[in-house]
Amino acid sequence: MTAPARTQEGSSRMPIWKAVLLTLPIVPFASSHLMGELTSGEAPLIKIIPALLVWILLTVVFFLMLVTGKTYRYRSALFILVAFALPVYLIPQLFETFGTNMLTEEMTLSARAKFCPMTMPMVLLPAIFKGVVVFPGLVVEGALWFFLWAGASLAVGRGWCSWGCFFGGGDEFFSRLRKKPVIKQVDRKWRLLPFAILLAIVLLAAVTFHPIYCEWLCPFKTVSEFEAPTTLRTQVSLGIFISLFAGLVVTLPVLTKKRIQCALFCPFGAMQSFFNKINIFEVRIDPAKCTQCKRCIRECPTFSLDEGSLESGKALMSCTKCGQCVDACPQGAISYHIKGTPIGISPNVARVLFLYPAYILLSVVGGHIVTYGLWRVLKLITTGSMI
Amino acid sequence: MAKLKSVLGYSVAALGIPIMIAAVLIWTVLPQVGIQFVSATGLKHSANWSGGEVVRTINHGAYETRVHRTVFDALIGERSEGFVQVAWSPLDALPARIDEEIDADGDGQADFRVEVDTANKASTLTPYTSWVLGLKGTYRLETVVLEGTAFRLNETLAVRVRLRNPSR
Repeated sequence: MTAPARTQEGSSRMPIWKAVLLTLPIVPFASSHLMGELTSGEAPLIKIIPALLVWILLTVVFFLMLVTGKTYRYRSALFILVAFALPVYLIPQLFETFGTNMLTEEMTLSARAKFCPMTMPMVLLPAIFKGVVVFPGLVVEGALWFFLWAGASLAVGRGWCSWGCFFGGGDEFFSRLRKKPVIKQVDRKWRLLPFAILLAIVLLAAVTFHPIYCEWLCPFKTVSEFEAPTTLRTQVSLGIFISLFAGLVVTLPVLTKKRIQCALFCPFGAMQSFFNKINIFEVRIDPAKCTQCKRCIRECPTFSLDEGSLESGKALMSCTKCGQCVDACPQGAISYHIKGTPIGISPNVARVLFLYPAYILLSVVGGHIVTYGLWRVLKLITTGSMI
Repeated sequence: MAKLKSVLGYSVAALGIPIMIAAVLIWTVLPQVGIQFVSATGLKHSANWSGGEVVRTINHGAYETRVHRTVFDALIGERSEGFVQVAWSPLDALPARIDEEIDADGDGQADFRVEVDTANKASTLTPYTSWVLGLKGTYRLETVVLEGTAFRLNETLAVRVRLRNPSR
């Protein structure tokens, strides 16, 4: 590919014809929900319309990513949309199936909890060494999530946290509300906390055979399902996860303009950081172009750039490949990069090769959630009920 | 060498695309891969959720009693306390009241007696041995069981009885 046009903001625009051509492979994935409905045999209009809208949205957004050379603003918009669509999609589904989104003890003993990829750190060791799954969800559903998680981790590393996670858009939204942060400095030592939590929950889950993070800490139970607060333990855990949601997902992201839950708490994200070590994609800084303005450090939502990064030319292993620094750098010094290849040569090739698997993940997982979330909204409008 | 690294780099990067496609295909339209994976690996729920394997089945005509194994599972060794799950499945219908002596450890001697009102799940436990600690709960369970490559819905009324590990 020839060197792309670079704007003053450092992005890499693409001619429209090239962007159209490169968008075509995304179309089947963006339309997967529409195709699913059309081939299901029923295909009611109330499901076709949201699937069609999502197909158009996903296709147009990918095209815009290519033609403008900007990644972050478009990814962020979709990512936030997915996070807000999630409770609209999931909670009515739980009410439809179980009459509640509060898990009773009978439901957990019947293994009817919804599997979530964030259980992976806790389920892997007991599954490998004892052949048992410590999460009370359908084992086959867990296996399907395992394959998705494994494939995504190999393909995009911690890119999962900015392209696949259906919770992360929540604290991303709140981190973008204010123009300027109220809390400007956050001690970088807090970056170690998610790794400490990861170690603790892995060990505790292996010892107790319980999904400790899910039972006690996950703030996103606030927008999905949670254990009915009928015992002291479940009442205490309810208080904990609601407090964590209010603090880590809402308040602190608003005050700091950073994705606090993702960057400084989430143990799944910490685990994904290790996959960044083996993932072929990384974010690199071209020292020849960098003027040390440190705008990237200020803009990075997950504390994945620091003065050391400017010296080494590499983002830290916690980088979620969200594209914010790439778009923000006024010199165009930061780019997606393929390990082993020369820095600064054909950055758009690396970007496009990264965007494909990342956007496929976003389209299929996020697209599913948005499609059926929209369906629930249409159902509410047309019938007066979401279920 | 630099050229080789470059070629390898781009090749591995391009591989990310079919890997992701395979992953999303399995997640969406190829659930049989998950089913076969579970069948092949023998992955099952922790006994904390499933109650462990059924070791004895007693047929009462209209219903059957399934006594699960005693559960003292730990990652290494066994715990000092655990439980045993006893479940009743209707073949025709459950009686209004179940009154049954249960041999939890398979030594031929009853370890406790449990009485259950099947309508309102009210239960009482009478321990016969010192390692039977008490009743943990009575539950109406609907579990999805994978048998081969097919799913079956299993509806049972179950009690869990707390036990002290007699070997510790």
